[in-house]
Amino acid sequence: MAPVNNKSSRHIWFPVIHSPWSDIIKFLLVIAALVWLIYRGTESLGYNWQWHRVSKYILSVEDGKLIFGPLIQGLLVTLRICGWSLVFSFFFGLLTALLRMSDSLVGRSVARCYLELIRNTPLLVQLFFLYFVAAPILGIDRFTAGVLTLSLFEGAYASEIFRAGIVSIARGQWEAAHSLGLSTFHTYRHIVLPQAIRYILPPLTSQAVALIKDSALVSTIAIYDLTMQGQIIISETFLTFEIWFTVAAIYLVLTVVLSTMADIMAYRLKIAS
Amino acid sequence: MQGKKLGDYIIEVDRIHKTFPDGIQALYDFSTRIKRSEVVVVIGPSGAGKSTFLRCLNGLEDFDRGTITIDGIPLDDNKENRLEIRKEVGMVFQLFNLFPHMTVLENVNLAQMLVRKKNHNEATKVTMSLLEKVGIPEKAQSYPSQLSGGQQQRVAIARALAMVPKVMLFDEATSALDPEMIGEVLDVMKTLAREGMTMVVVTHEMGFAREVGDRVIFMDEGRTVEEGSVEQIFSNPQEERTKQFISQIL
Repeated sequence: MAPVNNKSSRHIWFPVIHSPWSDIIKFLLVIAALVWLIYRGTESLGYNWQWHRVSKYILSVEDGKLIFGPLIQGLLVTLRICGWSLVFSFFFGLLTALLRMSDSLVGRSVARCYLELIRNTPLLVQLFFLYFVAAPILGIDRFTAGVLTLSLFEGAYASEIFRAGIVSIARGQWEAAHSLGLSTFHTYRHIVLPQAIRYILPPLTSQAVALIKDSALVSTIAIYDLTMQGQIIISETFLTFEIWFTVAAIYLVLTVVLSTMADIMAYRLKIAS
Repeated sequence: MQGKKLGDYIIEVDRIHKTFPDGIQALYDFSTRIKRSEVVVVIGPSGAGKSTFLRCLNGLEDFDRGTITIDGIPLDDNKENRLEIRKEVGMVFQLFNLFPHMTVLENVNLAQMLVRKKNHNEATKVTMSLLEKVGIPEKAQSYPSQLSGGQQQRVAIARALAMVPKVMLFDEATSALDPEMIGEVLDVMKTLAREGMTMVVVTHEMGFAREVGDRVIFMDEGRTVEEGSVEQIFSNPQEERTKQFISQIL
């Protein structure tokens, strides 16, 4: 009887141990431990938590109207900056990748110089350079300077991703396209890029996530993005921990949403092939 | 001012040289002339320059010296001439090189629409009749990965034919196929030959050469060692090198 009993008891526990619930419980335990640690730490500091004061900096209702708090307004600025920067950085990235692979010596040299310059200087210095030096000369405002800096910076890294994706396409594909009389433009547009996008998408998503995180630096040239709004609220209210936790959580939501969207897109591309 | 010269010869190759960057001489003083509707079979050991010759004919490979003229258009640095020649010269590759992200229909439609500027319906009509011709109309909506090697190569032939080329080049089109699929591809090629297509075929399929070949060129070390009718080369080769090679492959 004993072995049968043993077997049946293992049978009972088996689905519990291997169900997603056990993973969820483990995850919650780890989170609880972390929260407890932070709580104990701040208690010994004598920190006075005031989470109830945070909500009005996100959303509030006045006269039955929904009003965006400064954090949401900051988020909107961050979204605008990231949106434009994303478009331009992909543009710079693709252009640089194509130039680096072109037959033109001038094109290759320009691309090379741009890459070395951007990758070997700090982003913060580039931002200050564009805002304090280039912006007055070119007559551009701080928002444009911020977007331009981020686009140029992320574009340099995106170009390597594009290049790797394009190079990964077999030579036979180029030859088949050429033998049919397709121009270089049509070959890129219909043959090479649609196939390369599958290799490109995952690293490009990481790059986009990096862009969102790096965008916090524009607060240093007094653009009222999410980070800047957080700093202002803290200097007025001393809700240091609450606000930084909230700001970090908003960035987290933003990047997770982006990654999920990219995953869905990658899945669809896989289906389509 | 240069009108199209509609001479007997559709392809004229005059003393071309080709050296690869690593110093290997692929073509040495190679010349030949090919008539309209002629089927030329190029044979020779690997490294003889057969594929390089074929790839020079549609500008996939540059050559260092000499001239190639196709249907009166010189193949030179002029980009427009090059594009024009590529439109008129179809090529079938050893590894098919179908576009894996497109269906069979899209593979064959693509160049018709982009290069010949046909609309989707016109192109599809041509594509379906060509798929009928190569025997796989039911595969129009399949992706290349869902087809056998023989079927893929037949699609590749249909794709090249869709451009209505004046010349078709076959670069070891059956070498990558399983033995039982070679026949179906050769049958399509024979049909083309009988219909009067000008063809330059790099192959070791002696049956094909005997059946539809008008002329055989035996190449070695970038030169023509011997050329002549199929009978002459296979049954009565003059050069020692040719005899040796023929005895090895037969």
